[in-house]
Amino acid sequence: MGRRGAWLVGLVVAIALLAVPGGAAAKLRPGAKYEIQPARLAGYMDLGKRNGYRVGLILPDERTAVLYVYKIKWAGDRSSFTATTYAVRNQASLASGAIRARFGSLGRFSLRFRPNGRVERQETVQSGCEGSPAFTEYGRFAGRATFRGERGYLRFSLAGHAGAISHSFRLRCERGEADERPPGSLLGYVAPGSFFSSEGNIALLYASSRRHGRFVGVAAGHLEEEPPGAEVRVGSFEQRGRMAIGHYGFVYGGRGTLLTSPPGAHPASATLDPPAPLSGQASYQEEAADSRRWAGNLRIEFPGLKLPLTGPGFRARLCVLNPLYAPRTGCDFFKAPPPPADERPALSLGWMPR
Amino acid sequence: MRLRPAAVVALTLAFLACSPAGAGAAGRDDGDSNKKLLRIELEGSNGYTVSIVSSARQRVTVLATQEGVEGAPSYAAEYLVQDTQPSPDRIKAKVPGLGSIAVSFQPRGRVRHPTPPGCKGRPPTVQPGVVRGTIKFVGESDYTRVEAQRAEAEIEEPRGWRCHPGAKLEVERIRRNAEWTSKLGARTLGTYFIARKYEPGVIEEGQVLFLAETGVRFETAAGRTAYIVYRRATVTAPVSAFRDARPERIVISPPPPFTGTATFFRTPESVFAWRGDLAIQFPGVDPEPLAGPEFEPDYCLREVGCIRQHLR
Repeated sequence: MGRRGAWLVGLVVAIALLAVPGGAAAKLRPGAKYEIQPARLAGYMDLGKRNGYRVGLILPDERTAVLYVYKIKWAGDRSSFTATTYAVRNQASLASGAIRARFGSLGRFSLRFRPNGRVERQETVQSGCEGSPAFTEYGRFAGRATFRGERGYLRFSLAGHAGAISHSFRLRCERGEADERPPGSLLGYVAPGSFFSSEGNIALLYASSRRHGRFVGVAAGHLEEEPPGAEVRVGSFEQRGRMAIGHYGFVYGGRGTLLTSPPGAHPASATLDPPAPLSGQASYQEEAADSRRWAGNLRIEFPGLKLPLTGPGFRARLCVLNPLYAPRTGCDFFKAPPPPADERPALSLGWMPR
Repeated sequence: MRLRPAAVVALTLAFLACSPAGAGAAGRDDGDSNKKLLRIELEGSNGYTVSIVSSARQRVTVLATQEGVEGAPSYAAEYLVQDTQPSPDRIKAKVPGLGSIAVSFQPRGRVRHPTPPGCKGRPPTVQPGVVRGTIKFVGESDYTRVEAQRAEAEIEEPRGWRCHPGAKLEVERIRRNAEWTSKLGARTLGTYFIARKYEPGVIEEGQVLFLAETGVRFETAAGRTAYIVYRRATVTAPVSAFRDARPERIVISPPPPFTGTATFFRTPESVFAWRGDLAIQFPGVDPEPLAGPEFEPDYCLREVGCIRQHLR
């Protein structure tokens, strides 16, 4: 995954941290403008390693349950990361310790929390806020949890598991310091923002498609000053019935992963030849002012999904900048022209390079 | 004694920037301002000046310099060896294979308190005198030679002042640093190259200043450091020697003592590379390559910014 990709491992951890608010002691500045961070309840259950995947269930708020499945593979000092997340509504009340989550035809969780008496209280509230510190109750979610991933990539049936519920109270925060409000739609839980950050890239190739309700994006970028190689990120999300599904892949490919024509070259061209979990290659070729060819046999294998990354419906773009004249934010080819209609849903979820 | 180059040495680029007060000779330990320094200056063959300075921590520096005039290159070679004589008024040291120094100082004349520009604090005490004994130094392939039994010398006691001795050089260096318009550097462990382009009239005999510096540690068969040598060469050239109209492809072709050319360019991987057969020919030693895959280049446009490339 490389140095910069380490944050992605933290994706799951970051979600988990929702359940354990805390931070430095804070005194609000007199005269500052305030906002209210509502009280929140969150649940967490680490189901350990199963079929080679790390699995867990997070309830980032009372109404939502997110099952995450991820795998990290190491090759030398580099690693790759793939993950699949499933978000559904919790049909029971977490406040009363209950989880009733149905993951479509893939599985269901019907559990009740049994505290074991261990309680951890935060000493302070998060920075920039005032109010009562959060506390976390530990115990066991008892009941039944069954899941069978697509094409059987993961199966389990459990009579509960150790877990925790975190209670954070209503806080008064300086404006901008409160946690972001939970996403309105389930897609917001499986499509985290800034995944396709383009900051610092001096060469960035990006292709995306939206077909049959599934958004797919692949980005390969080379950062300024870095040795040969490119970060490759792939993501997809979709709504399937009452469940949102997100897939993520990240790998740092070495020499030869991304080759591009120099800045200002016309017609611009590029090739992408990344390592596993991707396979195959893709090529980008400008053919006319508004025509770009994106071809090849590039694919990725996510937990439960093999996804082609070229073919009909994909739209590709290439940005190659000279570091001397690049804005510090790197490539930004979505300012003009405005994003096409087929990518707007992704943009609103923070999935476009920006 | 059989010696071998054991390692390249990290460069500071401070070469000549910190030399003791009077003579402008260099000593890399001269920042230790509370130690007495014995300084000897001699005339070597082939237009070289040879300075010998015993500095703090029992180190002796032998510095051979040749100032370039009318566009000719300037050379400096600095040999760092161990002084086996702890007394501040004596030097006993060997530069294995190149010479030896065994002298003692005798004061002559009145103590001075020089205050060269660029120094702060209490002026040092400088006691003029002579050294007697044996001084013999023969540069590699005889590029310069000096032999003497007696030489003018002085002992300087810094008395707590902080100084970048040779302040004239320093002032000039600062001025040159301030007025470049573009520059291209390439470095690897033990070797540094830079080309700086100036507005017309800032430097003499051209518009581009080329500089190369290397550092090598030689060790004995037993693995002990015999000496460390830093070499530097600078030369000026017309603007045509540094063609940077396109920042994605810059060609450097400096005049002697440099040979060959090197190109800074962007690869299809968006990595900036520095390739070519550019080399520096220091007096008396084999040419040293200044381009290749092991070099990390950087290019800067004064009013715009820099392109840097890391290898790891």
